[in-house]
Amino acid sequence: MTILFSRVVSRISGTPKKTFFNCPQLCQALVFGTSCRSPTDSTPKDKVDPFSLVAHEMSLVSKRLRSSVVAKVPELASAAGYFFKEGVEGKRTCSVVLLLMATAVDIHRPESPFCCIGDTWTIELRRRQQLIAEITEMIHVASLIHDDVLDDADTRRGIGSLSFVVGNKLAVLAGDFLLFRALRTLASLKNTEVVSLLVTAIENLVTGETMQMAATIEQRCSMEYYMQKTYYKTASLISNSCKAIALLSGQTPGVAKLAFEYGKNLGLAYQFIDDILDFTGSSASLGKGSLSDIRLGIITAPILFATEEFPQLHAVIEQGFDDPANVDTALEYLRKSRGIQRTRELATKHASLAAAAIDSLPESCSMDVRKSRQALINLTQILTARNK
Amino acid sequence: MARAALLHLLRHRSVATATAPLSAYKCLSSNSKTPSGIRWTSICRAFSSKAAVNNIIGIDMANTDSGVAVMEGKERLDPFSLVADELSLIANRLRSMVVAEVPNLASAAEYFFKIGAEGKRFRPTVLLLMATALSVRIPELPPAGVGDTLPTDLRTSQQRIAEITEMIHVASLLHDDVLDDADKRRGICSLNAVMGNKLAVLAGDFLLSRACVSLASLKNTEVVTLIATVVENLVTGETMQLTTASKQRFSMDYYMQKTYNKTASLISNSCKSIAILAGHTAEVAMLAFEYGKNLGLAFQLIDDVLDFTGTSASLGKGSLSDIRHGIITAPILFAMEEFPELHAVVDQGFKNPANVDIALGFLGKSSGIQRTKELAMKHANLAAQVIESLPESDDANVIRSRQALIDLTQRVLTRNK
Repeated sequence: MTILFSRVVSRISGTPKKTFFNCPQLCQALVFGTSCRSPTDSTPKDKVDPFSLVAHEMSLVSKRLRSSVVAKVPELASAAGYFFKEGVEGKRTCSVVLLLMATAVDIHRPESPFCCIGDTWTIELRRRQQLIAEITEMIHVASLIHDDVLDDADTRRGIGSLSFVVGNKLAVLAGDFLLFRALRTLASLKNTEVVSLLVTAIENLVTGETMQMAATIEQRCSMEYYMQKTYYKTASLISNSCKAIALLSGQTPGVAKLAFEYGKNLGLAYQFIDDILDFTGSSASLGKGSLSDIRLGIITAPILFATEEFPQLHAVIEQGFDDPANVDTALEYLRKSRGIQRTRELATKHASLAAAAIDSLPESCSMDVRKSRQALINLTQILTARNK
Repeated sequence: MARAALLHLLRHRSVATATAPLSAYKCLSSNSKTPSGIRWTSICRAFSSKAAVNNIIGIDMANTDSGVAVMEGKERLDPFSLVADELSLIANRLRSMVVAEVPNLASAAEYFFKIGAEGKRFRPTVLLLMATALSVRIPELPPAGVGDTLPTDLRTSQQRIAEITEMIHVASLLHDDVLDDADKRRGICSLNAVMGNKLAVLAGDFLLSRACVSLASLKNTEVVTLIATVVENLVTGETMQLTTASKQRFSMDYYMQKTYNKTASLISNSCKSIAILAGHTAEVAMLAFEYGKNLGLAFQLIDDVLDFTGTSASLGKGSLSDIRHGIITAPILFAMEEFPELHAVVDQGFKNPANVDIALGFLGKSSGIQRTKELAMKHANLAAQVIESLPESDDANVIRSRQALIDLTQRVLTRNK
């Protein structure tokens, strides 16, 4: 474990490593006769914790993020930096995924067996990938800030929402500022394909929010519409940034697609569990969650499944949920139906698809790479098993 | 409640387009603050059945300002008519570009394109003229197509800059107009009151995201950086206006910085982008930037004057919306230099109309208006000089466009609406 940690640290901090650790596994296998099959680390698979694996790097990324969100006008700077303060950053699951993915796809290309890549290149690449994590966080927070304005939300991440604290207007402006600061940082990577990917994600976020706000009754009751909206609002950002990570590594389109698929399926699985938790909360029983989705009239997977079994639920949905009695009615139907179970099955299915994408990555002998991949797989389990 | 109104507006396009403009006009012709000093009363007209294109391109303005003037034997071409066809192409592409997967939102955003044409498509005109002025030959106009395909030639990508600029401009109008609850209670009427807070946020986001997509399609990260900086500047400028501490409000430097951020940055950086796309040197790109910057500053300074004088030459006939909203502009700043007593009045604020009259009194006695006009002229001349510093060319189109750009610097000064 210490060997692994020091490798990670030296990679980031730039301490020059001895040349032979830089050689690709092919070179290593030839020279040292080692085989990919022999494990050099005895840590059990399930103990590989994704969050602690990248904890050190995450704190670097967070620090840099905080210092990059600066503005000339103090009110703007503090509004834009509001959600990056220590303690309110959230779990930053997205960044964790991206840093793990960066290692997971760090495969030396077979065409250059003696590539013995110089340390500067490796460090530079890692820095660029960390920038993707920063950019993704900025985009994510910008969209949260705007969502809170659109939903009149008072709280977020356990504190007042930005719009609650500084007013709608400054919140909207701060969101714009963050978004375009992210775009500027993105441009600095000088990779137009990566720019396009993240810009697609930005567009998808807005489309998703619009789909949610402007849906007709038929659309709101449509599973297909819901899946599309969920992809746009939740999965698109992480899938596109995973793909960006792979592209920055110089990976093949095939590998890039696998990274994309991991992000997409993980994002979807995450959202389905979120939908369930909104009904159940940390207990297993219905109605103990915050019920914020349904109260806002947002119809999620459990209700959609319930509507398939109980078409009467349509009429309740049409009436809307301003009346708490309707919320209770819907919960009743939900309880009688298999809505929650089916949503959980759907989440599990997507979690498996995500894990499968990782398993399909080209083999690597590197312990770092294998550990990161295991961590990504474990993450799919952690996210689907969570109860808050 | 707001959600119901929003959904209603989104689903019933006819409501949004038919009734809204009229009520917008009614409430806008009273004392409402419009962001970026837009002269609404000159632009807001009841919807006619005339081709929408005319409303947007501003051929009207070109016609009323006597299209062709003969001066010293040299035919002065109207800058707007030089690029009229291209402008209509851009307007159509903009329209098709904003058709999103959710058509209702697109129609709401489009509503703003029809009305938000401050300066009658002034910016795209400048950009298109700049593109030609920098030695790009105007090709045969390509068939009007949907804007999402990769630009196949330089001119198309430069036109795209013009489209992006407009989208960003309108988006910033929408977001600048977002209301806090306090404003709602005071009954401030604006685009926002008409369309709903949330729609304003969402439509603005929509336009910004489409602008980003369009920007990415240019495959030029330097241009992305420039335009991203513009939005940061726009936001910074608006925040400067929102949150100024009293000392800064009295500072001419602060005011010029804010004006650069809010008005000039967009046009300067997009002019620079035009040059960069054409593959020009950093020096030429900088010249393009300087033209845009000085033109933008001149434009805003005259806007400040017009807010006091309106179409007449006399004070107090303008809409006075800046001062009524407590926004201290160049004329008042100059007047404060001559009459320090004005400080106290400004400090008290202008909710009390009596203070507005007092300030106007001081302004009338001072040379504030005159000095602002002189400052505008200085910047307009700087812009004209920049054009003259461009690398020589004997191409007739290039020469004509450069003349038009110089012409624009004068029009900015002499306009009275």
